[in-house]
Amino acid sequence: MSSSSTLVNASSKATPSAGPSLMAQMALRDISVLFRTPWIIISRSLAFIIQLFVFAALISQLVNVPGLDFFQYYAVGSVVGTVGSIAFIIGYDIFEEAEEGVLDYLLTLPVSRRQFIIGRALGGAVRAMVYATPMFVIVAVLERFTNPLSLAVAFFDLFLLAFGITGLSITMAVSVRSANRFDVVLALTELAIARASTALYPIAYMPVYVAALAPFSPVSFAADSARAALVGSSLDLLSLAGLVAFVVIFLGLGAAFYFRKLEGGVYA
Amino acid sequence: MNSLRLIPLVVERDVRILFSDSFLVGIMFANFAIDLFVTAATFGRLIPSGNYFLYIAPGSNFITASVAAFQSGRDVWREKYIKDLTSYLLSLPAPRPVFAFSRIVGGVVRSLIATFPGTLVISYLYGITFDPRIFAAFMIVGLFSLGIVGLSITVSSFASSIEMFVTVRSAIQLYLSFLSTLFYPATVFPSILTPLVASNPMTWAVEAFRSLPQAHGLLGPVSVLVVPSLAFALLGTVCYLWYAKL
Repeated sequence: MSSSSTLVNASSKATPSAGPSLMAQMALRDISVLFRTPWIIISRSLAFIIQLFVFAALISQLVNVPGLDFFQYYAVGSVVGTVGSIAFIIGYDIFEEAEEGVLDYLLTLPVSRRQFIIGRALGGAVRAMVYATPMFVIVAVLERFTNPLSLAVAFFDLFLLAFGITGLSITMAVSVRSANRFDVVLALTELAIARASTALYPIAYMPVYVAALAPFSPVSFAADSARAALVGSSLDLLSLAGLVAFVVIFLGLGAAFYFRKLEGGVYA
Repeated sequence: MNSLRLIPLVVERDVRILFSDSFLVGIMFANFAIDLFVTAATFGRLIPSGNYFLYIAPGSNFITASVAAFQSGRDVWREKYIKDLTSYLLSLPAPRPVFAFSRIVGGVVRSLIATFPGTLVISYLYGITFDPRIFAAFMIVGLFSLGIVGLSITVSSFASSIEMFVTVRSAIQLYLSFLSTLFYPATVFPSILTPLVASNPMTWAVEAFRSLPQAHGLLGPVSVLVVPSLAFALLGTVCYLWYAKL
């Protein structure tokens, strides 16, 4: 699942001032890696379509809460959830590269460690956005979200979420050693972050023990901010600030852990 | 040695593989707990008509059962493509049909172990913990798992890459979860989807479980799952035999 031709072409011409270009090449490599694995795209797309057009359409017939358009609520939340889900995949790639020895090759390329790590995080986030944009468009068309400023803010929220989750996924990929265990832990984290959030249901209807945690989920920050922009045409500054804090913390952690492992950790 | 005496040994091996990382069993229970105490509990409050929480509660356990059952298929796939164990396993002194059948039984036992706490929790919610009907509850979970283990081994026989296996597994799990009566009654589906819902093993399993509190005998709710689960198990056995050809 690894591809390095793009990077090789770029790195053969690398100079110290070519930092941003090399980071962009790292990111491009990750984007092409995702699109060379159609199975992942097929399964996530299928999940989104069934969730929206079957689950949300049917369950909203049963939800009868005054003032709540549950289909609209769920539609925005499912895009946020999908972005999170795709951003998590970078962890699988990094784990697999380490197992298959591709990481050793990547480290021989004339790319600084900092560029390497930021490039990976950027690639993970950008590819999540590339992938989720058609879904975002479907929901925008279905729900008639037409305000360009609202769409831009919501898109920015999704990008911040993707960037932060990429950092979280990288942190986990370099912290868990067993392949089986990594698979399940990542899936459980993804499930917990998405379910204990306001992406799929309003906080007022959660049991107290979930309602106490949900406001701190990064998926809640992104979902609340995106909904405020799309439905209320307003800016939810608190959620936006939470999202930025999540990005800073987990990108920092992801970079620190990844850097430590690269320099003589378990993959050495 | 009577070849049937080898079945428990093969099953024991599969169970040992499950517990080689007992952390995974814990994670499966955590998955179940999130499904039940977060998602089902929230939807139970969003949809106050009837008792929606109890309506969808058995589904959380069946989703865990399907995850555990698919783990068996994944192990079979890993044995062939990653660990290169197929030749060794076929050299064991068990006739191939017996060996294939044992793998299916092993998968069911693993699934029953993984869902044991969940089945107890749901039985408690349904008020049948200290009632003979709890045996029917375990039988329903076991029969559902039998069918899904058969399906997962079928998929592992044809999947040439782990990505393909995971994708087909995801598609089947989407079908089991969203095109069944797990979340909503059959009446809300458009007529075009009705055949898909009616033929979904998850529909039979959740309906069988929901009927337990009103059931007077154990066999009624269980019987609906016997034929389809055996059919899927047979398919899995045949595919395993085909896949194990050298």
